[in-house]
Amino acid sequence: MSDLLKNLIHDARVWQGHQHHKTLHRNEPTGFEVVDSGPSPLGWPRGALSECLLDHHGIGELQLVLPLIRRLSQAGKTVFWVNPPYTPYAPALAREEIVLDQVVIIHTDTADDMLWTLDNCLRSPVTGLVMAWPKNLSSRGIRRLQLAAEAASNLCILFRAANNSRQSSPAALRLVLTPAPQHTLEVRTLKRRGNWPGAPVILAIPERIGINVKKENLGIPPHIVQGPWQEPATDPRQTRE
Amino acid sequence: MLWLYLHFPHLLLDHLQRSRKETSAMVVITESGQHVQQACPEARKQGIEPGLRLKTALSLATELATVQADPERERLILVQQARWLYRHAAPITLYPPDGLLVEASRLQRLYGSVDALWDRVERLLSDHQLTASLAVGQTPLAARLCARAQRGCRDHGDDTALMTARLKALPLDHAGFERRTLERLLRLGLSTLGDVFALPPTELARRLAPETLMYVQKIQGNRPDPQTAWQPLHHFEQQADFIHDIEYTEGLLFPLQRLLGALEDDLRWRQQDTDRLLLLLHHHQSPATRITIGATGPEHRAEAFLDLVRLRFEQQSLAAPVTALTLRVKRFLPRHEAITQDLLGDAPDLQEAWHTLISRLQMKLGASTLHRLVPQADHRPERAWTTQEPGHRQTGTPAVAAHHHSARPLWLMPHPRPLQETPEAWLAGPERISAGWWDGQRVHRDYYIAQLASGALAWVFRDVREGWFIHGWFG
Repeated sequence: MSDLLKNLIHDARVWQGHQHHKTLHRNEPTGFEVVDSGPSPLGWPRGALSECLLDHHGIGELQLVLPLIRRLSQAGKTVFWVNPPYTPYAPALAREEIVLDQVVIIHTDTADDMLWTLDNCLRSPVTGLVMAWPKNLSSRGIRRLQLAAEAASNLCILFRAANNSRQSSPAALRLVLTPAPQHTLEVRTLKRRGNWPGAPVILAIPERIGINVKKENLGIPPHIVQGPWQEPATDPRQTRE
Repeated sequence: MLWLYLHFPHLLLDHLQRSRKETSAMVVITESGQHVQQACPEARKQGIEPGLRLKTALSLATELATVQADPERERLILVQQARWLYRHAAPITLYPPDGLLVEASRLQRLYGSVDALWDRVERLLSDHQLTASLAVGQTPLAARLCARAQRGCRDHGDDTALMTARLKALPLDHAGFERRTLERLLRLGLSTLGDVFALPPTELARRLAPETLMYVQKIQGNRPDPQTAWQPLHHFEQQADFIHDIEYTEGLLFPLQRLLGALEDDLRWRQQDTDRLLLLLHHHQSPATRITIGATGPEHRAEAFLDLVRLRFEQQSLAAPVTALTLRVKRFLPRHEAITQDLLGDAPDLQEAWHTLISRLQMKLGASTLHRLVPQADHRPERAWTTQEPGHRQTGTPAVAAHHHSARPLWLMPHPRPLQETPEAWLAGPERISAGWWDGQRVHRDYYIAQLASGALAWVFRDVREGWFIHGWFG
């Protein structure tokens, strides 16, 4: 074998086919019936990285992981939020029956510190889930996280900008999240280890705003009879003028 | 009564040697800087003896490290030795700068015999890498004189006749008399302590001085010689001194490892833990640097503390070269009993793992970067929650569910942002929140849920001045 190939294999950047049998870890169910059932259920892979790629926060991306957080926090596992873009709102989390004592928020200054933090959190037995919102992450950094998650068989979910979808990544699961009509969330699988991506799934997340959109089928819920949108003065553009 | 005396011929040098890795010759020089006061075995091998002129010593050994004598420092080092000895023998009396006296007769029953006590002390001395000469005597002074003259002998430590014979054979210049008294005794033709004992007491007092008689009687045990027992301080304090200044933090880790090991021992004896260490880095001119190392939970393992210190040292560099390092612990906590589920204890202790992780993170990133969320009873969204330092790990206490009837976003913006676009759809609202009139932080807003062009659901509000703001996202 040439030195070049040897180097490539030695340097852990190349994924080899025979390493595949290592994925014995069971997937964590997402808590959504549409996804968990079916011939090839999608789940959060244990001992591997997952990536959620999205353009805007507030499209329901947290709803996707809420059942997981709820289950882990109630089981006494700690859920770390590293560099979240906004403040996780405590009353809303408590309303979702998440045990707040198990939620730890960490802010780091540099990318190196963030990697160090994720690495340490992932390797600890108290950790159930690590979520991170990295600004920029090299593929080496992702590889390091992948190894840490593998070592402790922990869950790690990264929320990244959608333009990273063209970049290759060693993550075991890559999902593209886009808003769909009627406040639902479209989950498109970009990559999943050991399986075909499968068709995009539309997730109805009715509980998000306290209104059961699914039942009402469309648009304005009936209990709002009158709102400010009917009056011209309530248009924000106009009110600012 | 039997007494055991420990004489440390070069305590300061032993102490310095423990904090360094290389073994080269070291001497302690007198305060005037002219003569050698103590010499380590390595220096003795090269022919340096106490009392030698420094110039001669320097020409004998090429790489001779010299330390200025400092009685106060030596006393502190002696106290450190008394601390560990106190675990095995008590009562102890300090004889600064280089001796410790132990009352052996009470310990005889504990250890079985004086010889067993002797063996134990010798083993402890070698554990602590110390050189000392021991001697047993019937009076404190007799033990001290024999130890200083290195005439102590282990076998048959409780044989009184042997002890008396040994004491009587002691040459007068080892007997600790004053210079003038010694001269007069020698001029009388006396050579050993036994000769002095043979003199009639009244004559001794009349011809020499009453003090000399008192001293001789104390050696013999005919006059009381009360000893003040030493009590250890409650807190832990140990110091490592360096012969050469240390300029990099990595160099501090080696001596610190030993100090932390001593702390672990100490904590094990107390059956206690601590969560706060104070490190004092002493410099030549500037005041000492204080470094506090905090763990989130009770801890006693040296390696755990060393790990935290290493992280801390990565963050900061030394302000000035370090001449000595003090480790002080004043806060002790009851030891947490590991509750293991399984008999063999193979499962990792989660409580401990939690403290290790959080302490590491706090030490590396700073304590303020980590927090937990706590809901608060307030109608104002920005005050409906607060942060808390992650301290103890909570187990199995489900949070009290907040009884909001209206939806609340999962993301809250730290500061409301002006709404710059017309929302595509309005989904819920208005919900009026009017509160804070009691503390001057008045909030009077109408909240709506709106969908923006990007597809995101925002929590927007209109305030009293008709301005529109985004306050959160339904993530």
